[in-house]
Amino acid sequence: MKAVCWMGKENMQVHNVPDPTILNPRDAIIRITSTCICGSDLHLYDGYVPTMEQGDIMGHEFMGEVVEVGPGISRDKLKVGDRVVVPFTIACGNCPSCQDKLWSCCDNSNPNAWIAEKMMGYSPSGLFGYTHMLGGYAGGQAQYARVPFADIGPIKIPEGIPDEKVVFLSDIFPTGYMGAENCNIRPGDTVAVWGCGPVGQFAIRSCFMLGAGRVIAIDRVPERLAMARAAGAETLNFDEVDILEALREMTGNQGPDACMDVVGMEASGHGIVYAMDRAKQMMRASMDRPIVVRQAIIACKKGGTVSVPGVYASFIDNVPMGAYVNKGLTMKTGQTHMMRYMQPLLERIQRGDIDPSFVISHVLPIDQAPQAYKTFRDKQEHCTKVVLKPWDSAAAA
Amino acid sequence: MNPYNSQISGDKGPQDFLGSKGILIGAAALLAYGITRRSKTSLALATAGGLLAATSLRSNGNSQAAHTRATFLVNTSPEKAYALWRDFSNLARFMRHVKSVEVLDDTHSEWVVRGPMDKEIRWYAEITEDVKNERISWRSRPDSLVQTSGSVEFRPHRAGRGTYVSATVRYTPGGTLSKTIATLLGKHPQFMVREDVRRFKALLEAGETPTTIGQSHGPRGVHGSVEQVLFRETGNLADPQAAQAYSKTA
Repeated sequence: MKAVCWMGKENMQVHNVPDPTILNPRDAIIRITSTCICGSDLHLYDGYVPTMEQGDIMGHEFMGEVVEVGPGISRDKLKVGDRVVVPFTIACGNCPSCQDKLWSCCDNSNPNAWIAEKMMGYSPSGLFGYTHMLGGYAGGQAQYARVPFADIGPIKIPEGIPDEKVVFLSDIFPTGYMGAENCNIRPGDTVAVWGCGPVGQFAIRSCFMLGAGRVIAIDRVPERLAMARAAGAETLNFDEVDILEALREMTGNQGPDACMDVVGMEASGHGIVYAMDRAKQMMRASMDRPIVVRQAIIACKKGGTVSVPGVYASFIDNVPMGAYVNKGLTMKTGQTHMMRYMQPLLERIQRGDIDPSFVISHVLPIDQAPQAYKTFRDKQEHCTKVVLKPWDSAAAA
Repeated sequence: MNPYNSQISGDKGPQDFLGSKGILIGAAALLAYGITRRSKTSLALATAGGLLAATSLRSNGNSQAAHTRATFLVNTSPEKAYALWRDFSNLARFMRHVKSVEVLDDTHSEWVVRGPMDKEIRWYAEITEDVKNERISWRSRPDSLVQTSGSVEFRPHRAGRGTYVSATVRYTPGGTLSKTIATLLGKHPQFMVREDVRRFKALLEAGETPTTIGQSHGPRGVHGSVEQVLFRETGNLADPQAAQAYSKTA
């Protein structure tokens, strides 16, 4: 089968690799019909997250048709021919974390838990197409994928809804939604959202679904700010205004009730501290550039909430802990507990509350993935979200 | 003694079982690999190599018995945990270095362990203590080439959130095979026992142990292959049969 392989920093290649097989009783094999490039894949593309292996198959946002089911899965859970969206987190369903519905913290799905324990104390769940610290599972930017614990994760999709409307249930819609839920929104609240990429777009719309009165969206890419305005957000371009001053003015010296960092470790900014972060990251003295989370803490209202769906890999410097403590803030984080959100959000899509396909800018055959990574990273061609079609030939595009 | 941590008797670390020379070579390799790779992992690896070298230079390399313990909270009852462990033919399903255990009678068993170059090492073991649903202890027979003993305890969580499973394993290097055994089984005794109990928990809770061995991938090249070994992925073998004790609650 064709698969997008990570061959090193800024080096994605499409290779012909063996088709996946069932390895464990609760595995299933999915024939993939749509798969996406995620912003968090760009952190791997840029080489900032440790424990990748040359040859790893990328991708954690995919859907398709079940073509094989392991002996440990009962037919009423999943059977050949089912059309499913696969969540990016892998969960066993029966450990203490899964029982607490902390699906992205599953105790049993990471075969390399010991590496994560060295860094984080305890290991979160395994992920598709991500680092070996988080399992090293082959991903879904391919024609087929092996899905472990397939009786827990994949959600069945009825016929009649196109892939483009539901494929984002695999990550970015639930991730934006959980980011908004983590803001503890009360009716009428003001939420500031840093980052208007795909997750940011879903976060903005989810804030309104959860009752926010105002959403202030921060970015510098014109088409992304326009997309945020289309959802009803007010927007700030950090190239043009001082964000802290603008938020102070807009909230009457109160600050937003909640601040959301949908940017993570590769944030852009201005000034001397940004230059230092950038230098440290280039020297590999630090993996993260935590500008946004610092700004969010300073900007946030007293007693407010900082929600962080953005991806961080390790340690961050110069966090304004004094502001965080003295203002009595709460920070909520986590990889998305996917299985909490997939069914309710599918129902919202079916009801017509939202059509997630608005975020797509590019639909490409899988052979064009290496170029698509670069286009998406550099935000060229107004690229907001790339959907790859594993079975389309390059000539047809 | 803190029962929640793996530990080594005496004041020696696990690296003593490899010998300080071995550690130094490994450390140098890590350092060199880390520096030449010049990428995301490089700094961490080079640092790890440096630390390892420093630790190794401080220790004097005399081997002592390894005594290591690991505890995991498992979402199951003491009865189910005891039943899975008490049938020693199950041990190979979660002990990474054990190839098979044949149960000879109620208390005796024959263990086959993966040795160097896939050579098998065998010994006979007997159960020395068996308290139903609470504790099992075993040791190799005195005439075995390998001197080893172990025990496992099952204690219910006070609020009913599962069972604490604590395994203790001792290896005493000695006899003709001592060096081989120390190198292969004992070089990371702490790691080994922790991973064994972790896999035991996965078997009971998930019905299988997670693995990526045998999955598809692109060309690994030199770097990919080295990284696989560094991440110790070669030991994550799949368990082809679902555990009987696994109750599907989800």
